[in-house]
Amino acid sequence: MKKGVLFAIILLLSYVFSQSSHILNIAAGVAIFLFGMFSLEEGFRAFAGGLLERILKLFTDKQYKSLLFGILTTTIMQSSSLVSIVSISFISAGLIGLAQGIGIIFGANIGTTTGAWLIAGLGLKVDIATYAMPMLIFGTLFLFQNEKKLKGIGSILAGLGFLFLGIAYMKEGFEAFKATIDLSQFAVGGFKGLLLFSFIGVVATVIMQSSHASLVLIITALGSGQIDYENALALAIGSNIGTTVTAIIGSLSAGLDGKKLALAHVIFNVLTGFLAITFITLFIRLVDTTAFYLGIAEDDYTMKLALFHTYFNLLGVMLLYPFIDALVRLLHRLLPKAQNAQESDDVYFITDSALDFPSTAYTVLIKETKHLYHNVVDIIAQSLSISFDDILSGMEIDDIIQRRNTPLFVDMEYHYEHRVKEIYGKIITFAIMAQGKFGEETVRDIVPMKNATISMVEAFKAAKHMQKNMLFYLNSNNEAIKHEYNHIRRNIIKVLRNIQLILNTNEEDIAVMLLGKIKLDAQKYDIAANKSLDNLIRTQQISYAMATSLMNDSTYAYTIASELAEVAQILFVHHEQEGKETREALILNESDMKDLSTHLS
Amino acid sequence: MGKSKFIQSIESLFGITPKEDESKKKSIKELIQKLKERRILIKKALKEETDILKRDTLKDHLFVLKKQIKKGREILDD
Repeated sequence: MKKGVLFAIILLLSYVFSQSSHILNIAAGVAIFLFGMFSLEEGFRAFAGGLLERILKLFTDKQYKSLLFGILTTTIMQSSSLVSIVSISFISAGLIGLAQGIGIIFGANIGTTTGAWLIAGLGLKVDIATYAMPMLIFGTLFLFQNEKKLKGIGSILAGLGFLFLGIAYMKEGFEAFKATIDLSQFAVGGFKGLLLFSFIGVVATVIMQSSHASLVLIITALGSGQIDYENALALAIGSNIGTTVTAIIGSLSAGLDGKKLALAHVIFNVLTGFLAITFITLFIRLVDTTAFYLGIAEDDYTMKLALFHTYFNLLGVMLLYPFIDALVRLLHRLLPKAQNAQESDDVYFITDSALDFPSTAYTVLIKETKHLYHNVVDIIAQSLSISFDDILSGMEIDDIIQRRNTPLFVDMEYHYEHRVKEIYGKIITFAIMAQGKFGEETVRDIVPMKNATISMVEAFKAAKHMQKNMLFYLNSNNEAIKHEYNHIRRNIIKVLRNIQLILNTNEEDIAVMLLGKIKLDAQKYDIAANKSLDNLIRTQQISYAMATSLMNDSTYAYTIASELAEVAQILFVHHEQEGKETREALILNESDMKDLSTHLS
Repeated sequence: MGKSKFIQSIESLFGITPKEDESKKKSIKELIQKLKERRILIKKALKEETDILKRDTLKDHLFVLKKQIKKGREILDD
């Protein structure tokens, strides 16, 4: 908000407050309630690193489970906004699919209706402020604790306390207000009123960014008779549409799928709002009929409003749930993947919203590191005058060497600028941001990813340095030097193939064994130590200049192999959270390799 | 779902790992077993292989596996 507008609003509100202490009471109630919502969300975020994410991963494999997850979490946390932000973050990180995300959003719409029941059933009928005070005291006590989870409990308790206090203030404000001005005289009947109050509901919720805050305002106003029942229904419909603004804002920093989910949220809420407005008389009749069976008094309009709110959200879910797959297809059509007009490659998964939760940050880092690995290996393969497809093929390595015997120049600088640098920079920045934001446990997982990225760039640089001589000597008439450079190519292809196997296999024993083998092979690159260089010089098969180049390039080849082995190890160990330590335990370290090399020689 | 599997899934849901060391040792034991089975398979392959280069690769695999199994046993003994 621009400073000028903010200043004007403050001036206007100050004038209004000076004229009516009752409006001040109501506005203070809204402010305290909103503060309570923030505090509640903050508290639940403290648990987001653990329980919430584990539940999300475990219970969203099927659509109906996603729906139940949305209902339950929103009912417990009383914040559909937080649930939609969590879903957007998870969808951007690729932890859940779009269909599952939509299921959660549908569920959140049902879950949020419990708020109306709580406010109408408890908030207005019980002296809620009495419960607010102890919650605020205990909440503050917990907030003074050092442990993150205890602080989280403190935020939740204080949040609930503020919510209750806010409701009490609003109730008091409207009751007192009634004695001076009767707002119900501004009621607008008929279809015009329905549209007007729906629009007011949308605007109020967009401003407050909380449908709960709007609902509590509507229910307290309705309870004190300041607005009439039909207008209150219209306001509730409007608040349901206005609440999507939080998801839209949350999706601005998310990936394409996050944006699709926010759009699904808008489509669902606008459509259910449209249905509720179109069939309002039918809904009112349904509420009147069923209210009787539920023991709701005929003149208990606040409870009837809660019932209405539940019905139209439930109807929306019932109508749209069978068409989730069709909705997914529609969203893919409405928001297609942008054609990559520019030549440069960029990150696929890193978005600001992935930084919301530790597990999304971790998953995104692994995926992006794999993306960079693919780019780096593709370019390294080209620098060896072969293609990445050759590595993936089942062709014998000697056949590849024979087929690809024409040295091909690759502009490594260009590739670095267009396919590595941007992604590398963004991964490192993202990792640093995540390190600063999350706890020690997450940092322990993030640091290796950063190291893997650095290792890839080291391997890339080594390949760049090696390329010059490789191109020159592969064209040479000297068969001995050509043979040596083909030997280097052969070894690197072997390493790249083994790494591909490690990254693709589900058999842990194979991966652990191949990691050991890559490290063992890397030890053999030391051409000065394995005496073959001495032999080549002594028998005058190569010149001193060739020998120097060969020694340097063997070192570069060793760097490529050992750095990429490091990357493979990190990606293998961290490919899933569970069992990391076991996978790491049996991997041979440097001293194990030395023992093994000594034994072999 | 069996009783132990149910308890395991509840434990993983709430992030409770009371017997962390025990479960780590159990997984290492399982991995060692797999490595042993892999060693038997490679030994069989070595017997049938005639190509010298491929034989060298298989021998390297056996050395690596032997070292890894030894390392695993040392961890279990600690």
